[in-house]
Amino acid sequence: MTAAGRLLRLELRNNVMLWLLPVAGPLFWFVTFRPGLAYPPMWNLRATAMQTSSLAVFVPLVVGAAAWSGSREGRHGVTELLAGNARARWARQFGTWAATTCWAIIAYLTCVGVLYAVTAGTAAWGGPLWWPVAVGAASLPAFAALGFTAGALRPSRFTPAVVAIAAFLALEISANFIQGFDSHWQVSPLVANPWSLGADEGIATFYRYLPDLAIAQILFLAGLTAALMGLLGLPAGAGGSWLRRSATALTIVGALCAGTAVALAGTGHLDKNGMIAIPTLHNSAYDRPVPYTPVCSQTPIPVCVHPAYSRYLPAVVDGLAPVLTEVVGLPGAPVRVDQVAAAYEQGSDNDAGIARSGAAISGTPPVFNVLLPTQMAHRLSAEELTGEVRVGMARDLVQNLTGGGRGADDAQEAVTEAMARTSTLPPGSPVAEAARRFTALPAATRHAWLMAHLPALRAGQLTLAELP
Amino acid sequence: MNVELGDVTRRFGRTQAVDGVSLEIGTGVFGLLGPNGAGKTSLLRMMATVVPPSSGRIRLLGADPGAYGPRRQIRRGLGYVPQNLGFYPRFTVLEFVEYFALLKEVPTARVPRAVAAAVERVGLGDKATAKLRTLSGGMLRRVGIAQAIVNEPDLLLLDEPTAGLDPEQRVAFRALLRELGERATVVVSTHLVEDVGAACTRVALMDQGRIAFDGTPDELTARGAGTSAAGDAPLERGYSAVLAEVRS
Repeated sequence: MTAAGRLLRLELRNNVMLWLLPVAGPLFWFVTFRPGLAYPPMWNLRATAMQTSSLAVFVPLVVGAAAWSGSREGRHGVTELLAGNARARWARQFGTWAATTCWAIIAYLTCVGVLYAVTAGTAAWGGPLWWPVAVGAASLPAFAALGFTAGALRPSRFTPAVVAIAAFLALEISANFIQGFDSHWQVSPLVANPWSLGADEGIATFYRYLPDLAIAQILFLAGLTAALMGLLGLPAGAGGSWLRRSATALTIVGALCAGTAVALAGTGHLDKNGMIAIPTLHNSAYDRPVPYTPVCSQTPIPVCVHPAYSRYLPAVVDGLAPVLTEVVGLPGAPVRVDQVAAAYEQGSDNDAGIARSGAAISGTPPVFNVLLPTQMAHRLSAEELTGEVRVGMARDLVQNLTGGGRGADDAQEAVTEAMARTSTLPPGSPVAEAARRFTALPAATRHAWLMAHLPALRAGQLTLAELP
Repeated sequence: MNVELGDVTRRFGRTQAVDGVSLEIGTGVFGLLGPNGAGKTSLLRMMATVVPPSSGRIRLLGADPGAYGPRRQIRRGLGYVPQNLGFYPRFTVLEFVEYFALLKEVPTARVPRAVAAAVERVGLGDKATAKLRTLSGGMLRRVGIAQAIVNEPDLLLLDEPTAGLDPEQRVAFRALLRELGERATVVVSTHLVEDVGAACTRVALMDQGRIAFDGTPDELTARGAGTSAAGDAPLERGYSAVLAEVRS
């Protein structure tokens, strides 16, 4: 084993971060693991939520442990003893910092590994998202360097606590400065996807996880690490002239990398797939849809969803079932209901518009394209989802057949209301009465009438009086 | 000569800690005596390359410590026990000495044997795996000596090394000093004249930053003979006589 390896082994055995691991585990369970499992078992949700919340656990611990290690020589009065040794001070400090970082990364990867293993056992489709893990892992050396530098420069028993709290507050507060999707503050490693959207089910499913922001964040964190570690090599006692020149170069390169990353993050924008795209870093290969085989229901009109959403299929079918029975075989009725990707659009400030990408009905024979409510970052129970599908998606399907919706005439509104089994009309109004009468008809009669009159109804050629 | 000092001075603010010291020290045990504030520790720190001199020339182990490369070379052959010896409480004796062996750039393959030998030489073999926080003050002092000799230094600098040692340990330590002095230059700064008498081949007495006496212990003893200088032992009387002479 080399001298550097032996030094690292000694530091690993005696590093304070080792003693903090029993604290990190329960904290991760409480802050990240438990809330993470409350999300549906989808990789996009759990990975992005993990990136944000796990840093709240690890950053204060790592900063505190690194500051404690960095201040060790001063606190224990060993500076004099160490000063007369051949190995450069910077090399010695590097070993201590590396040990703190190693333990932190081991702890982090273990915790994330458990979360990912549980998710792998329950997720219906896809695989682990590694970019959020990479950003989290890259954060640890950077924050360790921050704490270590503070501890080395101000060796005191109080430095670790002060720096840990300050780092935690700075990290949490920094995200609140994000305004719009072109904010430089997005470089904060807390941000996994558009900050205002939070963990979002609509991303990284139909399209791959866009790593643009993650790359900028890793560049920033690597630059920060290099700059801070370089700073420790600048003082006269840190080492020889070659080492100090290297440290100067490291500091400059690190600062340049960090500055470049901040500038890049400021050029980010919300792309149509719901992620932050940075033009300079963007690879158009990520804009191609990910191939998948949909999961379909055995209903008169099959309802097909992306396999990642297969757990929602029963609730969606329940919500659509009454309408599907009603419209099957009608002229212009869809032969299939397909889930499509959400399209994201940047609004003013932090607002983001989420809508169905493409037309409601497309192709021949026609296919009805739907956006699941869960793709709009709603967290719904099965019953709530069924209700939302019934009042939203089912009504939308009927409206596309009857010509209902905005600007519809009374006859169209009445038939739409009757077929969708909703009650959006003022009670007792002529339209509501017509809808009630139409609903009360036997299903076969209603279906026969629709077969004969649906084209005319859709064209707006029928009056309320002409309804049965 | 392993130590060559030419008109060396060291200032700390307005305080002139070392004032024009010139010394040449070869192999053997060299005792540095003097009252508190005489400048012994400052002189030793300069010889340990911890602080540079304000002026004057220093050559250690044949090299100039002013430049980084030679300084690093000197430090490979240097052992130093400062007056205030800090330690890492969580390290074991072996780990602490190994840590310093690695910092002194002892060849990696030799480290385990060198560490074990150093720990045995200071009589801490049975405490090798004990955490430093569990050791007594005297044992910690011996750990400090072990880290200083782990690289088999050509120049060993010891500042008050016997403070905290019990009489038995001091006797053993003096024997160790004599053994080390056979092949290396050992500079011992101390208040305890009996240490000097028992272990040193040469002694210098410092007062107010200057060398007031430089000679053998017998010569120092002779300076006190026939005088009314204070002291319980002949060497102490010599010490007191030289100081009284310088200050008169």
